[in-house]
Amino acid sequence: MNDEQTRAHFEALMLPLMNDAYNLARWLMKNQEDAEDQVQESYLRAFRFFASFQGTNFRAWLLRIVRNTCYSALGARKLREKEVPLEEESDEIEDHSPLPPVSLARKATVEAVREAIAALPVEFREAVVLREIEGLSYKEISQVTEVPIGTVMSRLARARHQLYLMLADRKERDQL
Amino acid sequence: MNCRECHDFIDAYIDNELDVATAILVKQHLRDCSQCQQLLESRKVVGALLKNPQVPFEVPDSLRGKIQSALPPAASTAKHGSGRRSAIAWFSVPLALAAAFAVVLGLVFLYQGATIDRSRGNALANEVMSSHLRSLLATHLLDVPSTDQHTVKPWFDGKLKFSPPVQDFSEHGFRLIGGRLDYLNGREVAALVYQRNKHIINLFIWPSESGGSTAGQSFVKDGFNVLHWEHDGFEFWAVSDVNAVDLRAFASLEMQQP
Repeated sequence: MNDEQTRAHFEALMLPLMNDAYNLARWLMKNQEDAEDQVQESYLRAFRFFASFQGTNFRAWLLRIVRNTCYSALGARKLREKEVPLEEESDEIEDHSPLPPVSLARKATVEAVREAIAALPVEFREAVVLREIEGLSYKEISQVTEVPIGTVMSRLARARHQLYLMLADRKERDQL
Repeated sequence: MNCRECHDFIDAYIDNELDVATAILVKQHLRDCSQCQQLLESRKVVGALLKNPQVPFEVPDSLRGKIQSALPPAASTAKHGSGRRSAIAWFSVPLALAAAFAVVLGLVFLYQGATIDRSRGNALANEVMSSHLRSLLATHLLDVPSTDQHTVKPWFDGKLKFSPPVQDFSEHGFRLIGGRLDYLNGREVAALVYQRNKHIINLFIWPSESGGSTAGQSFVKDGFNVLHWEHDGFEFWAVSDVNAVDLRAFASLEMQQP
């Protein structure tokens, strides 16, 4: 294949996956501008390695690149040190955008769900986004996030449990 | 199975990731244990909230253009100057597609030393796949957007010389989202569109020449799975980026229909 054909082939296969790539980046970076930058960077990386990619699952491959690109951008080490405690993460969110007083808290459910996902620790967040929003299988999630399937399973379980607690809370608060 | 094991498996159970034997054990435990039923309910509540189609973010329109202009220009396009290249970027997508598949087709014809049947299958698989990609790219996925098989089926009447079988498999996780007319294998065909989680499945249908039934023939092309079978006088071609297991499950549902 010459350059032009490679590029055409790349665009035909990879551009339809932009929605998936953007959503993962958007959830990891938590804002539109950074997400766009990282998706663009990911596509450049993907293009560089496109010719040598031996697999068949282009979507999982691209998402893995997106994930790694975002992690680099976020400073992977800092992220891992900060691991888990949900309270800490939630506090951080509130620092950025303080919750409105109870009487104003009747937000659209969509927004509540998005906030709850954003409040999850990053390992749980990516697992739940890849499963529930991108529709990946456990095996694909394990490939994208580079952890065993058993870990995928327990992260999903914890993510869903925390989401339930947060959204159940929210529901009660909204009903006050 | 005890509650602890049930807790461990409940997510995989919901996500259809358990083997049949374990799934049955979970199901039996759930039947007898109200605490674990509550857990299941809580998972379902979360699942329903997350499945709201408004939860995913919309891709900003400008992103595609940004990516295309960030990619290194191919040697021959560089001659035209970058301004012009980005101006035609949008329109060049179908051309790029056509070029890509011309190449793939060309390779197929060059290297197909196998039987005529296989190379015909391969050529068709390519045609089917490029039609699938076109449908996703060109925002021409659906002519008749409807999840109701009784709306979709009559829509084809008068537009095709045959009446394709139309079934919704929502219960099994393959939701019918509509249909459209397409042109494949030198003829007009019915294209039914199904959704599996976030994945789109295109199912192309036309009357078969043999009129018989044959088992599935599968192709993997560039990360897409393509399955072909004949059943009840029709040829079926299914193509999607869902995994091969899911696509086979889909095909067997379609084949079970009267």
